[in-house]
Amino acid sequence: MSSSDGGIKTAISLKSARFADGEYWVRLVMFACASVAIFAILLIFVFVLRESLPAIRQLGVGNLFFSAHYNPQTQNYGMLGFIWGTIFTTFGAMIIGAPLAIGTAVFLDQVAPERISRLVRRGIELLAGIPSVVIGWFGLILLVPFLRAVTGTSGFGVFAAVLVLVVMVLPTITTLSAETLKSLPGELKEASAAMGATRWQTIYKVLLPSAREGLLIATILGMGRAIGETMAVQMVIGNARAGTFSLFGTTSTLTTRIVTDMAEAPSGPPRSALFAMGLVLLLLAMILIVVIRLISRERRPGR
Amino acid sequence: MRTLASFKRLIAVVLGVLALASSVLLAGCGKQVTNGTYTGRVRVSGSTTLLSLIQEASVQFMDRNPRSRVDVQGGGSSAGITQLQSHIVNIADSSRELQGNELAMGFVDHKIAFDIIAIIVNPKNPVRNLNSAQIKAIFTGKVNNWKTLGGFDKEIVVVVRDQASGTREVFDQKALGSTKEHPVESKPSAIEGTSNGYVQETVATTDNAIGYVSYGFVDKTVRAIRVNNVSPVVSSALDGSYPMARWLHMFTKGEPTGATKGFIDFVLSPTFQRKVVAQEYIEVRRVLNR
Repeated sequence: MSSSDGGIKTAISLKSARFADGEYWVRLVMFACASVAIFAILLIFVFVLRESLPAIRQLGVGNLFFSAHYNPQTQNYGMLGFIWGTIFTTFGAMIIGAPLAIGTAVFLDQVAPERISRLVRRGIELLAGIPSVVIGWFGLILLVPFLRAVTGTSGFGVFAAVLVLVVMVLPTITTLSAETLKSLPGELKEASAAMGATRWQTIYKVLLPSAREGLLIATILGMGRAIGETMAVQMVIGNARAGTFSLFGTTSTLTTRIVTDMAEAPSGPPRSALFAMGLVLLLLAMILIVVIRLISRERRPGR
Repeated sequence: MRTLASFKRLIAVVLGVLALASSVLLAGCGKQVTNGTYTGRVRVSGSTTLLSLIQEASVQFMDRNPRSRVDVQGGGSSAGITQLQSHIVNIADSSRELQGNELAMGFVDHKIAFDIIAIIVNPKNPVRNLNSAQIKAIFTGKVNNWKTLGGFDKEIVVVVRDQASGTREVFDQKALGSTKEHPVESKPSAIEGTSNGYVQETVATTDNAIGYVSYGFVDKTVRAIRVNNVSPVVSSALDGSYPMARWLHMFTKGEPTGATKGFIDFVLSPTFQRKVVAQEYIEVRRVLNR
């Protein structure tokens, strides 16, 4: 049952409910809470769209969204390199982070003895509470010099950003995945064991496929964090205005470019172009969620 | 459990005593300060180069004038000037000159310090001197290896400042020959740092990096190189043989009055200039009295 169905039902039942009914007020308050979130999203979307219109009109869609030449000095505001930077770092973080986090979740829920599991859990909760600027600082002081020594490049760049993002998405994906695994009915595991399956076979063939939807949602939420993360990434990615295909090349993501340039950005195209980047971020997040929702929905009947 | 609870109580008591003691101390400090003549609020914003200096000035000014309040923010020279124009602040700190239509907005210029922009490399880098052409080639990305410049065989990591930076504006004009009509684009893969401290830190930790910072940010973790065999020192900047030097300004809209005037006078006072400004920059009178 998705939340929008619930909202509509509440709205309908608001009329029919008796005034004296205490439940009426509870429902009204809940409905108001839900509306605030929707209203905020709509407001942000409309505002960002309105603010980015001048850039779209004056520079043209092609120059703004499909060009990688960005330099406010020469009035070029092509953001393709930064869109790619966001996708590159986010997927990089997912490729490393999602298996790591789901593996950790399986370990916590299925493998680890109770005491160790609790210890690891506390550690991950602590990790989630560390401000991103601290993780970025840690990346700048330890990770970047390490990568520099190993690779002979500047150390700044996509890979450093990916590693920092892995640390940041790990708690989100691990915690949610562990919750999903925990919520699976115990009969699944017992039935599998009764059939003579080993522990690994049970995890791989029974538990993970049953939890697939929950694990996907955990990954989506981790992805959302990776797309939006700004501070930590800005400190290690190098903030260059060029796009790059190299794992060790310096570049920017949409968020880091916005925060790097927003202090200057006189009104007109420079400022508006930054809002257009915000618009792309919103769309990117929406597209990702829709795509992964579709995948999870398609797979469900065939399970 | 009982020991834990009593431990918590102990901590609470200790904290309480500390809070009391500190409030007594603070009250004592307040009494020592004489009542100043200036009252009211001064809002200052602008150059990140000047941020720490102006913050120091605001603290000292408020100590002397307890009934005044000075709020200082960074954000970049251009942001400060924009905010001054729209009356959001009383003073805009700027590390660049007014330009274009800003000249016709009735701003009054108060020069508060003279600054030298130093080109810095890592102390491990053997390169000590670069000529103007080499600097331009490095920062526009035409030369990418230290080897051709007499250094080690390593890629050059270029660190520049963000677009909002007045330091970058001055560097682009004076080192790259960039103008508004014919902008010179710096190396696309250059790392953009949002503050002097970031550039200094990056160069200090990256042995193949080169960047530029205000004179005040050159310390032993980085090495300032000579440009055309001229060191970035006070005398060469004053006689013009070192090319990258600039005035640091405070702009007001119209002649300042009240606490705003008091604050600018304080920044220009011989004591503050000698004790604080001279730590990082060059005192105004040393340039103007030549």
